[in-house]
Amino acid sequence: MRTWYFSEMAYHPAWEKGLARGSLRVNFPSENLDPAEAGKLLNRYLDEFRLCDEVGIDIMVNEHHSTATCMTVSVPMALAVIARETKNARLLSLGNPIANRPDPVRVAEEMAWLDCLSGGRLEMGLVKGAPYEIAPANSNPARLMRRYWEAHDLVIKALSTTTGPFNWEGEYYHYRNVNIWPRPIQQPTPPIWMTGMSVDTGTMAAERGHVVGTLLSGGTAKPMYDAYRKRARELGWEAGADRFAYAAIIGVGNTTEEGLRRADIIADYVRTAPVVAEPFTNPPGYNSIAANTMIMKGGPRANRFVSDRNGEPINHRTASVQQFMDTETVFAGTPDEVYEQIKAFNTRMGGVGNLLFFGQGGQLDHKESMANISLFGKEVAPRIAELNPPKRAAAE
Amino acid sequence: MSTTIAVAGVTLDIEEKGSGQPILFLHPGEGLQANRPWIDALAKTHRVIAPNHPGFGKSSLPDWFGTVDEIAYLYLDLAKQLGLKDAILAGNSFGGWIAAEMAVRSTSAFSRLVLAAPLGIKVRGHLERDIADMHSIPRAEFMRLAWADPDKGAIDYSALPDTELAAIARARESLALFGWKPYMHNPRLKRWLHRIDIPTQLIWGEADGIVSLDYAKAWRDEIAGSTLTTIPNAGHFPHWEQPGAFAAAIAAKP
Repeated sequence: MRTWYFSEMAYHPAWEKGLARGSLRVNFPSENLDPAEAGKLLNRYLDEFRLCDEVGIDIMVNEHHSTATCMTVSVPMALAVIARETKNARLLSLGNPIANRPDPVRVAEEMAWLDCLSGGRLEMGLVKGAPYEIAPANSNPARLMRRYWEAHDLVIKALSTTTGPFNWEGEYYHYRNVNIWPRPIQQPTPPIWMTGMSVDTGTMAAERGHVVGTLLSGGTAKPMYDAYRKRARELGWEAGADRFAYAAIIGVGNTTEEGLRRADIIADYVRTAPVVAEPFTNPPGYNSIAANTMIMKGGPRANRFVSDRNGEPINHRTASVQQFMDTETVFAGTPDEVYEQIKAFNTRMGGVGNLLFFGQGGQLDHKESMANISLFGKEVAPRIAELNPPKRAAAE
Repeated sequence: MSTTIAVAGVTLDIEEKGSGQPILFLHPGEGLQANRPWIDALAKTHRVIAPNHPGFGKSSLPDWFGTVDEIAYLYLDLAKQLGLKDAILAGNSFGGWIAAEMAVRSTSAFSRLVLAAPLGIKVRGHLERDIADMHSIPRAEFMRLAWADPDKGAIDYSALPDTELAAIARARESLALFGWKPYMHNPRLKRWLHRIDIPTQLIWGEADGIVSLDYAKAWRDEIAGSTLTTIPNAGHFPHWEQPGAFAAAIAAKP
């Protein structure tokens, strides 16, 4: 199992105000952010990413918009800095919300540029994006996935075509001379990742051989991985553990108490991040008709952020660190304890080759974050690496 | 009576009632809501023909279909297929936008146009919303803006069967498809409203919080000879909230 550290680079000083207003996203005015403080935090977070390379773990960056929970507005911009500050870590963009981007060719250009800059260390996530990303991008939530797949195909075509220019006259995108310079070192494309929470996503990712990741809910991860393995078998290949990723909050310490305390602080991210004004949580068309029928019947409970092992939603606003551990949203304790938890999870999932290590969230300060990364990198990552010796994720 | 009819590759689910001068009524984004008394009120004096828009009710929404101008062409085809002559073309809210898009293209099947709180045009500056952003406010606030008496509009979702909830979810998705961006309008439509060459009546609920009376006046200024009738104790859906007054306003032929 490979370890990929990530942090959302939160602007946590504004969280209390956001919570009081009932929304940390979309309609939480930026007057609640001090730009000088934001700059200090961004530099601090980038130092934490640099430490990952020193302790031998890989790096993942994501992006969100109009939010106090995540200041990374552009994955390629953050990875450009990180690529220059690291030597060995693979760099996972997870990812570009391509259905919200008006210009997929620009996405391909940026990814190719990063792959060159980093010496072929890039892994490229093409993601649907969260529902509350629809409003900041003002992208149409209806037929979102149709737009996603057209953008996906175009990005791959642009990255892998070396004899361009080519023409693209699709439903959503129109170009007459696509011919990106530079082109990526990894051919035909850097390894491709998707994210999701559903059986459908597992099936669709399997059909393309992409890595598929999910976050924070063991209960929804298992059916998705199983659907992937089943579909791969139907198509005549065996999906290895390296095709699967799981994001969990991890607090590791020299004592159980220290690990749990760190995890509890990071878990405030989960208690906080989904707090967004109602209209932005479920734009029409983002979720399936069947899912929306359930939401209308069941009220907001049916639309929760984290679910337990049986897929039942838990209250992410108030859950204790122990409740989060029961749902495999959190792994926490000493290095030995965390190793055992991850090992058990890996076995239960049937093999997960990539752990997305959510090791900093909001109030966990720099010193503690560095200690968390360092201890995990030195004491846990080498041991879980032996769990499933992953083949290096390769593009299909 | 509910019927289906195939038009230009789309299956339309249509409510029809009454006899007399035909009125082709185009429903708002909230749906047809044929169980409300508005159809009966209009059907006393007219043959009401009310299609569910593509993606609403049981009407199909083919993959290739996805814009308001396509709905306009579809309903012009429907009018031709039904042999409508001297009919009234009426629409409310999103349906008013469709009716206006039809009327700038062809009025040959129609002798009158009724636009009840239509969406569809841009009047003021970049920073000003002519149309309330119905998708950025909580449902309860939408109801307060859209109804003079929100209780009259309330729907108890927990009492509806799954099939109806699924239809509501599908209709909401369809409305987003047609009207998300630019938001519920066509930036080019206002320039062409001068082409409307039949008597046009604007009907507005006095308590409409979605589109204001100033917006109504902008429509009136663009359509030569048009008149504006306001209805007390009605919000954005006057035919639902005051069905009698709405039918009377149409019958009055101002």
